[in-house]
Amino acid sequence: MKPLSRRDFLKVGGLAFITTAGATALSQNTKKEEQGHTHESTSHVMQQGDHGDLPGTVGEVDHEANGFNPTDILTDFDYGEVSTLPNGQTLREYNIISFNKNVEVVPGIEFPAWTYNGRIPGPTIRATEGDRIRIHFSNGSNHPHSMHFHGFHPGEMDGVPGTGPGGLVEPGGAFTYEFDAEPFGLHLYHCHVFPLARHIAKGLYGAFIVDPKEGRPPVDREMVMVMNGIDIDFDDANDFYAVNGIPFHYQNHPIQIHVGEKIRIYLVNILEFDLINSFHLHANFFNYYPTGTSLIPSEFTDTIIQGQAQRGILEFSYKYPGMYMFHAHVTEFAELGWNGMFEVMP
Amino acid sequence: MTQTTPQPTTKRFTFRTFILLLIPIILLAGVIALFLSTGGGLNLQAPVPVENLDVENYILAHNNIDLYVRNTGPEELTIASVIINEAVMPFTVDPSPTIPRLGTARVHINYAWTEGEAYGVTIFTSNAIPFGVDIPVAFETPRPSQSTFWGFTLIGLYVGVIPVFLGIFWFPALRQLGRRTMTFLMAATAGLLIFLGFDTLAEALEVAAEVPSAFQGIGLIAIGSVATFLLLDAISKRQTEVTGSETDRRLAIALMIAIGIGFHNLGEGLAIGAAYNVGEIALGTFLVVGFIIQNITEGLGIIAPVLRDRPSIGRLALMGLIGGAPAIIGAWIGGYTPSPFLAVLFLAIGTGAIFEVVYEIGKLIQKDTARESMPLTVFSGVLTGMVVLWVTGLLIK
Repeated sequence: MKPLSRRDFLKVGGLAFITTAGATALSQNTKKEEQGHTHESTSHVMQQGDHGDLPGTVGEVDHEANGFNPTDILTDFDYGEVSTLPNGQTLREYNIISFNKNVEVVPGIEFPAWTYNGRIPGPTIRATEGDRIRIHFSNGSNHPHSMHFHGFHPGEMDGVPGTGPGGLVEPGGAFTYEFDAEPFGLHLYHCHVFPLARHIAKGLYGAFIVDPKEGRPPVDREMVMVMNGIDIDFDDANDFYAVNGIPFHYQNHPIQIHVGEKIRIYLVNILEFDLINSFHLHANFFNYYPTGTSLIPSEFTDTIIQGQAQRGILEFSYKYPGMYMFHAHVTEFAELGWNGMFEVMP
Repeated sequence: MTQTTPQPTTKRFTFRTFILLLIPIILLAGVIALFLSTGGGLNLQAPVPVENLDVENYILAHNNIDLYVRNTGPEELTIASVIINEAVMPFTVDPSPTIPRLGTARVHINYAWTEGEAYGVTIFTSNAIPFGVDIPVAFETPRPSQSTFWGFTLIGLYVGVIPVFLGIFWFPALRQLGRRTMTFLMAATAGLLIFLGFDTLAEALEVAAEVPSAFQGIGLIAIGSVATFLLLDAISKRQTEVTGSETDRRLAIALMIAIGIGFHNLGEGLAIGAAYNVGEIALGTFLVVGFIIQNITEGLGIIAPVLRDRPSIGRLALMGLIGGAPAIIGAWIGGYTPSPFLAVLFLAIGTGAIFEVVYEIGKLIQKDTARESMPLTVFSGVLTGMVVLWVTGLLIK
């Protein structure tokens, strides 16, 4: 604190006086003002009740210009181009290109993102354990990028600089990553070129699902949710938080499900700059399968925490119809965009 | 056809002169056009848009926060998102989220704030550039009404008018003093004013930092202070020409001291009013008492030049009002429409006025010392004046 100047003293001294002298007068005044104000903004009062607006965005981002809609991403599983290899193994081939793209993340603000196939998160790559995965990656941006998959694979397929041509693909370059999909579970992929935090935070990430050979028990609906942050002013701190790219999307567009429907969510945390993220489901509990590597749930809970790159599978169904929130129970993330609604219909 | 003889001795503003004056301006327009069309060979395309947004004021009402913002950047900008204490809030902007250069707008948020808590507001423009304002202590912003009006009047009365009048009440006693003591008092007044002048200038410089850069706070100080100094100087010279009477001249100086102190107190009133609005409230009634003690010297300064005359009570009262009452006006302005721009301007005017008055007193003292040399009286007087303010300030802080 800087030392008080004479004028500071005047402020303080003067205030001491005005506080005592004008206190009664002011409190009377406040009541009058409140009445006056209520009168002049009836429309707001009707919307807000008496407790202000709820956090959220007004208006809609341009999904068409963005090239993706989080509502679609939810159920968009990419099984690739399927063929069978001479040895009988299933081959899944994917074409992925990285390029720069301005994404309107909040109405009126475009984020100069780096994307896989023009979307945040990138395609949800899905295969069955033991399948042959072949990713034809080409770099259409003006920065070197790579694809680093979590899972078993040879070192030269790791997508990390120093591991060969796939570790750093120059602008205009291409590389094919090839490996067997294993172990089964819920994984992820992301760019691993340095500076790593920036390459991830700019949007180069996606979910990678490996189903067990015998499959998981059937459910009515499956969804993928990739929890991300948006550092819009590049100060290495997130300004907005989201699931599947766009803050508040599922708050503004509730996910419609039905009472009794079995829901499975593939939840991935790819948040940068913040150490943990979380998922909390309202008025319900879920079975949780960390990393999805076991068919036996580890926990029956309503809140889980995930560190950076942690992921897991949630299974639940709703008992009663209604509107139910799901959000990060790191609540400041919720009010900065990581908030959604399930609209449970009878 | 009779030819009129040209008058070469008289300089006349002819069409030719006009054209000659115009030529550089036309050339200037050409150069600017050339620069704008070619870029002057410089690559002036900024990689990132330069934007600047100042939150000039905020008003808190029940469940509402209004931010008054000004675009002080070089180009228009658009407000795209408002975050309050780590929560994205819906908002409206009146008249438009797109604000032209130097334009203003009101950002309205329905927000259930809590009395006494602190809030940090971040405004993002469409280019994702954040601008913040802190609300250190949230409370209902006072609005113009009879009662707050009376509250601000009362505070101005206590910090401005009353101390000045208390000082003036010394008049009868001080009249009994000898010439040398009176000169000492005049010198002390000059000392007081020099101290106040520096204080006012320092405050002007401090507030100038809050003025949007486009409005050039430092330039405002230069304009306000120099113009005031020269204007008062001109007025005083004119008065001397008209009346010439030594008594009237001293009265005029007393009046000018009152005006100078009046501007100083106006600046103080602005600060008090503005501080009240942003909730910088700290209790300490004894500080007000200390303040009255310190400002009593201002009244003393006003009467010092006229001690050997017999000004009417009405005149003395008028000068007291001129010196003290601006504190009330300042509190009103500061309380209802706090504006760093106005504050800097008033403080600059105060600085100019005070230093001009010091100059006038200096001339009076010179007349006294011409009759009787008393260098130590002047030295000790000026020093006393400054030390008195410094010491009383010390006691209070």
